[in-house]
Amino acid sequence: MDTAIDAAPQAPAVRHQMRFEGSGGEYFKIWIVNLALSIITLGIFSAWAKVRSKRYFYGNTYIGAHSFDYHGDPRRILLGRMIAVGLLLGYSATIHFLPVMTFVWVIFFLFATPWLLNASLRFNARNSSYRNVRFNFTGTYGGAFTAYVLWPILAAITLFTTYPLARRARDQYNINNHQFGGKQFHAEIPGWPIYQIYLLALLLSLGGVVVIVLIFAGSAVAGMNIKSIDPKQPATMLPLIAIISVSYVFTLLILLTFVGTKVFNLALNHTVLADRYRFESSLSPLRMIWLVISNMVLTLVTLGLFYPWAATRMARYHRSQIAVTGPNEMDGFVSEAALSQGAVGEEIASFFDVDIGL
Amino acid sequence: MKITNDAGDILAVVPLKSVQASSRLGAMRRRLDFPDGSSFDTADNDGVDALLGRYSLLHRLEKSWRTVVVSVIVAALAAIGFALYGVPVTAALLARHTPPSVAVYTTEQTLQAMDKIALKPSKTPDAVQKHYRDLFAAVAATAPRGATGYHLLFRDAPVIGPNAFALPDGTVVMTDQMIPFVKKDEEIEGVFAHELSHVDRAHGLQRIYQASLVPAAIAFITGDASQIGQFAAILPGILLQSAYSREFEHQADDDAAKQLRRMGASPAPLADLLERLEKKLCGRKQGCGPNWLGSHPATTERAAWLRAH
Repeated sequence: MDTAIDAAPQAPAVRHQMRFEGSGGEYFKIWIVNLALSIITLGIFSAWAKVRSKRYFYGNTYIGAHSFDYHGDPRRILLGRMIAVGLLLGYSATIHFLPVMTFVWVIFFLFATPWLLNASLRFNARNSSYRNVRFNFTGTYGGAFTAYVLWPILAAITLFTTYPLARRARDQYNINNHQFGGKQFHAEIPGWPIYQIYLLALLLSLGGVVVIVLIFAGSAVAGMNIKSIDPKQPATMLPLIAIISVSYVFTLLILLTFVGTKVFNLALNHTVLADRYRFESSLSPLRMIWLVISNMVLTLVTLGLFYPWAATRMARYHRSQIAVTGPNEMDGFVSEAALSQGAVGEEIASFFDVDIGL
Repeated sequence: MKITNDAGDILAVVPLKSVQASSRLGAMRRRLDFPDGSSFDTADNDGVDALLGRYSLLHRLEKSWRTVVVSVIVAALAAIGFALYGVPVTAALLARHTPPSVAVYTTEQTLQAMDKIALKPSKTPDAVQKHYRDLFAAVAATAPRGATGYHLLFRDAPVIGPNAFALPDGTVVMTDQMIPFVKKDEEIEGVFAHELSHVDRAHGLQRIYQASLVPAAIAFITGDASQIGQFAAILPGILLQSAYSREFEHQADDDAAKQLRRMGASPAPLADLLERLEKKLCGRKQGCGPNWLGSHPATTERAAWLRAH
């Protein structure tokens, strides 16, 4: 092996940029044909369509000269969807007519969620590969219960002052239980920066309220007669209600995207693979907010037809901001990871691995 | 299958049957997996197809503009068919098969919730209530469930204002604020006939079913449970729901007109009352805002229709 010669303890670190090479036009054709087939087969084919979409996005995501791969079995996805639809039907049928049942369902979901999440994460990880080496997920029921149930309950008890810590617990649970081959991902997310993100979001939402008030002041100047709004005449409230609900949707979308992007950056920037490869994410919240909102508006205006361009556009930007830095001898690392992955491959068909598609 | 390098040296010979190839998708690189666990990938998709002698039907469909155009039409027709027939027919079917005990239970729950939020005990004097109850009983006697199938409740509703609404089990609630607007008994008879039609056609239950069918369908069609998908589904959902609601109002007006004729009365007084309410609620000039957003059809249109029948 020629790399052995320069494999000194301090091998020079090389930055491997991630990139997405799919195109909206190509994906549009794949998406619409699979959608039509799903409709014709009354939804059965949708599981195969999902695999095709996932394969398209994984197969066009590259690090260096190699792409990722998705191997999910559509029959398992179909099973997962049937379970999800069954639960949804049972839930909505009973809560409308028997509100008492809501309590039973809450308890059920409380205890079933960790299991469902683990099954989904495991299915996804084991069916994802890079250079023929599969990923794996090793989370336990207890771990998921702590991260997804106990932490949020604690956050609620403390009036959401510990919510950022709950978010950190969740992200660390997800990352720290992932493996590439036999190599462990590890994330140690610092506490104060994650608090800063949520505090900034709080300020932003206050800013949102100010903006809404300004819109009103502006529209009053622009000639909309605010005095004509009379709570005793419900119809005059319509423009007011419309403005408030649109602003509400946009503010919520902006806040969710802002927090999601910042936390994603923070988490990935503190993630290490096998103590050797560091991850970097430099997503800009403003750029992400622009992408999310313009994608939504264009998808609405085109009655859904823009969706494939929206999805590829998002993927192109998202992947372009992610990089892996580490020793140059990736080949050696990948084969090492492949050798250490052990029996993972044989367990892949485990019965309870289903994609619930949450 | 023989694998050689550029110099022509044979690297391996494997039976073609044991080679697993990934299925063709867009311009993506193809991967060939060999029995010993090694693999090979290439962008030469046509070459791989020719080598294996297998051509993916799905890929051919995805590549052809003709199937793409057909697919767009199929998707559009499915969406239209679903909105026009799928949701209303399914909701009506479910409502028809909902046991009466469920309607009673839903009514209790709704009324309890509304009593907490928007309704207060009625301040209408007993004598006035008695007068309206008698009118109500007269209308109910000619309706499908008969005089005992429906009952009238009075509530004070400062927030809601003048209104009357039907609940699934046959309860009709009339607000105190409605009474000053009624100039003739025939007018309120029209309102009762309209509300009884909502009860008989189980419009309340249908609305509940529609509310769960629409978002589920949009999520299924777009196959997207992401944030963008959820938000994008809100607006079409609202528009569709208000369109269904306007259809229910048309049906109720139609039924009311027929029933009033059966009673030897005219639907015209109902039209007068609707117009009077509209003037109060929306002001004289601006009207009630855009029609396509509302849960009720435009009053001028309804009044004209009622007078014509």
